[in-house]
Amino acid sequence: MTTYTICVFTENSIGLLNKITIIFTRRRINIESLTVSETERKGISRFTIVIKHEKREEVEKLVRQIRKIIEVLAVFGYLNEDIVYNEIALFKISTPLNGKSVDVETINKVYKAWVVYWGLDYVVIEKTGTETEIFEFFKYIKPHGIIEFVRSGRVAVGKTPKGLIEYLPEEITEWEYYL
Amino acid sequence: MGNLLDIELKQETLSAPTPTKEAPVFLSGAQAMMECLLAESVDNIFGYPGGAIMPTYDALYDYIDRIKHTLVRHEQGAGHAAQGYARVSGRTGVCLVTSGPGGTNLITPIADAIIDCTPLVCIVGQVKSTLLGTDAFQETDMIGVTTPVCKWNYQITDPDEVPEIMAKAFFIAKSGKPGPVVIDFARDAQAAKMTKPFVYKKVEKMVSYSPRVVPKQDQIEKAAELINKAKRPYILFGHGVLIADAVQELLDFVEKTDIPCASTLLGLSAMPNNHPNYMGWLGMHGMYSPNVMTDECDVLIAIGMRFDDRVTGDSTKFVKQARIVHIEIDPSEVDKIKKAEAPVIGDAKEALKMLMPLVKKGDFTGWKNEFRKLDVKEYDKVTLRDLSQEGKIKMAEVVALLSDKTNGEACIVVDVGQHQMVTARYYQFKKPNSYIASGGLGTMGFAIPASFGAKVGAPDREIVGIIGDGCFQMTIQELGTIAQSGLAVKMIILNNNFLGMVRQWQQLFFDNRYSFVELQNPDFITIAKGFGIDGHTCNERENLSDSLDKMLASKKAYLLEVIVEKEENVFPMVPAGTSVSEIRLE
Repeated sequence: MTTYTICVFTENSIGLLNKITIIFTRRRINIESLTVSETERKGISRFTIVIKHEKREEVEKLVRQIRKIIEVLAVFGYLNEDIVYNEIALFKISTPLNGKSVDVETINKVYKAWVVYWGLDYVVIEKTGTETEIFEFFKYIKPHGIIEFVRSGRVAVGKTPKGLIEYLPEEITEWEYYL
Repeated sequence: MGNLLDIELKQETLSAPTPTKEAPVFLSGAQAMMECLLAESVDNIFGYPGGAIMPTYDALYDYIDRIKHTLVRHEQGAGHAAQGYARVSGRTGVCLVTSGPGGTNLITPIADAIIDCTPLVCIVGQVKSTLLGTDAFQETDMIGVTTPVCKWNYQITDPDEVPEIMAKAFFIAKSGKPGPVVIDFARDAQAAKMTKPFVYKKVEKMVSYSPRVVPKQDQIEKAAELINKAKRPYILFGHGVLIADAVQELLDFVEKTDIPCASTLLGLSAMPNNHPNYMGWLGMHGMYSPNVMTDECDVLIAIGMRFDDRVTGDSTKFVKQARIVHIEIDPSEVDKIKKAEAPVIGDAKEALKMLMPLVKKGDFTGWKNEFRKLDVKEYDKVTLRDLSQEGKIKMAEVVALLSDKTNGEACIVVDVGQHQMVTARYYQFKKPNSYIASGGLGTMGFAIPASFGAKVGAPDREIVGIIGDGCFQMTIQELGTIAQSGLAVKMIILNNNFLGMVRQWQQLFFDNRYSFVELQNPDFITIAKGFGIDGHTCNERENLSDSLDKMLASKKAYLLEVIVEKEENVFPMVPAGTSVSEIRLE
């Protein structure tokens, strides 16, 4: 299984999420994570969808089908090496009065994570990084007792010097898909 | 108390209109919708009224001199009629239905239209926008329900949106690879007045949707190079040729290059059947040589077709020896089933025009003769048997005789099943857009509504529906539409008292276990007469010719029921999932 990151640029309109995800459903592809936000250009949304798949051709077909949706402006499919990507995770860690205290220095220096909230008998730690890094930290912090853990979807930018948004037209030009 | 009266009087004076200049009155959303239809030169629509679409029907009342409305008996009929209309005329079919069941009844035609690339604009009523999402009376989430089966959909909740959205809707439906567009029109947006004057600007391009019409020159050059080098080239053309109105271009191309060609089921009638380069059509029940020769060609030129599984059989074995040129308007179709060495993204008409000067004049007499040799085999094994005139009347002889009597110039609307395949085999098409069928979705019940839709779209053409007894009962209520609108549609029921195609499969692949395929049919002619449509039954071979004459001579709608052989099988046949080389002739 290879991990693919699919970036979809769209007009910002109601129901578009459904129109996009329904194609994954039809092709029986499970979505590992999904993030949507507005881009640096107003009115243009960016979907970052992570999937795992065995066949590159099938992913190419998927990309082309997503491109076909009216209101979709551009679609890019990436392998991990083509992008810089991260996720963010929040850990709510139990710190009872006479329990083991958290080692903030290790957390900061080794794991590049930060305590963002101090509760009475718990702390909230924020960790950004790749999925692997987050799970390494997860293993480290687990003995303290994880009350809650939440991880965001992936956000990614391409490694090309151009901004992806530059591929979007000021006016009608031809669309290319990249994979 | 006196005080109170004073106050009331005071209020009255306050609310009285100030005598300044009159506020302009703008169109309502529903009136704007009518103006949009006029701006798009829509002169015929198909529909069925109901609660949530009433303001639009009320507006339509003022436009009946300019927009002709055909009142169907079931919304599915409206959809298929709009399809028949669109397919025969090359225009966009429009349907108007109400919310809830009105919309859901339209789902089958919408799904049919997306898979057969038929341009439709479906205007569906919706509950008031304030009631959306509350499970209001006759509320269905039409956007949610139609998203997987339509090209585009949009919910209008503000009358000011109407012109812009409708301009987009008509552009999207007709351009690129055509398809159905659903407009979910909230009742309050229909009734409310616009806040600005109605201005309609046709859409010709959209930022997020700009299908490529003119192919890239380098793709054309690569395709031409491949075609020119071919020793045994073979053209497969599909519905795209008819949609792109590229019939003449295809003919010119074939005549210059002398390449043998075959059609897909929906490409039928794009090329006259009697053309020396036309080898027939291919597919599961297609003709022998066009199927078998896919294994022999060295370059396959696919024009406006998408390698459907009913064409390829086992696609991994289909044309695997050949290099493929694929002319296709939808980039997502290229490499979807078969990898194309020379893809040409663009409109078939433009592509063929651009290819013309680059391809060499050819002479493929020897190669064409190989097809013709196989035709002899098919004739001996299949055609002779089908037309043997022995035993009960066979479907093939009805179609062949109809073909002779109409000189191959009628527009044939078929339903789904054995009769559909037999018609494709035995009608000798001479004019384009003459075989209207539900190909991709295989919707039984398509033919009655599609044939009157076709008659509306081409009133001067002879429209003949060829329909199975099973199919006929799926949309039998539309006889009422035909009668009321006075459309001279001719219908032939090929009655074998069976769901023939399913029965054939059960016989061949399920060990003769006829599971629920025999029908107890009503008296079709009595039913037709009940609707006010004349007709008769033909049971004997010697009456067949006269029966067809009588039907064709009728100036009004007419139903001819022909009782045919009960257990007849359609051959050739490429069993599902096998390769074309495993085609069976008996």
